[in-house]
Amino acid sequence: MNTLSMSGIIIRFVLGGGAVAGSSIVAGRLGGKFGGIFASFPAVFLAALLTLRLGSYGQTLLNQSLSLSKGALVGMIADIVCAVMAGYLCTRLGWRQGLTYSVGTWLALSCVAVAVTHA
Amino acid sequence: MDKKGLLLRFLFGGGAVVVSYVVSVLLPWKEFGGIFAAFPAVMVVSVMMMALRDGSEKAAQTAQGAVFGMIGCAVSVLVVLLSIRYSHNWWLSVVLGLVAWYLTAVFTYRLSRAHRSGVTTRARHSRLPLPRH
Repeated sequence: MNTLSMSGIIIRFVLGGGAVAGSSIVAGRLGGKFGGIFASFPAVFLAALLTLRLGSYGQTLLNQSLSLSKGALVGMIADIVCAVMAGYLCTRLGWRQGLTYSVGTWLALSCVAVAVTHA
Repeated sequence: MDKKGLLLRFLFGGGAVVVSYVVSVLLPWKEFGGIFAAFPAVMVVSVMMMALRDGSEKAAQTAQGAVFGMIGCAVSVLVVLLSIRYSHNWWLSVVLGLVAWYLTAVFTYRLSRAHRSGVTTRARHSRLPLPRH
């Protein structure tokens, strides 16, 4: 998996988008308790993990899944910070600025954390 | 759910998986691809849609509610990571990750309900008239 392929990009886009949209539809249809629970389904992570199987097998697949999961764990912890920040900043700065700063912090925090663990 | 919200979720979700793939291929540090696999697509779209419909205050409440769900996602990823490392079984790790997500999501959902009912009770009590002596 050293070169980018257009078909790979399209398949991943459709699967990723389908997973997120599909889990949102299921959450909406279920409603109530199970709808609330399903709204937090890790669709993007699962889609990214499953699409690794498109080009990798055996030990390579395990190594790529480990790398993906390590980065995703950092990203998920940054997600929690992002949501807390959005909850705080949206009321104080308005939703546009609040959401932009929160997502910007998520990206910066994730990149710094991954870079530090590599240093 | 309206079509606009669904389309945005599709675009954000698909975009995040593609960026995760492109970054993992182009950069020597493969973990950077994993960051984008954790992109909070559902929360971002939910906050945007809520803000456009009901304003920033309600959008902030949506973001606060997402914190509990994200704890479940983080636990799920941790379980997948540990399971792959120690069992070397890919499918087992994916299934264990889903089970861990479900159990944590149910627990955090109950926790959020208890938190919400506690806040409502406190708000109701704060509106009671002060006792006269």
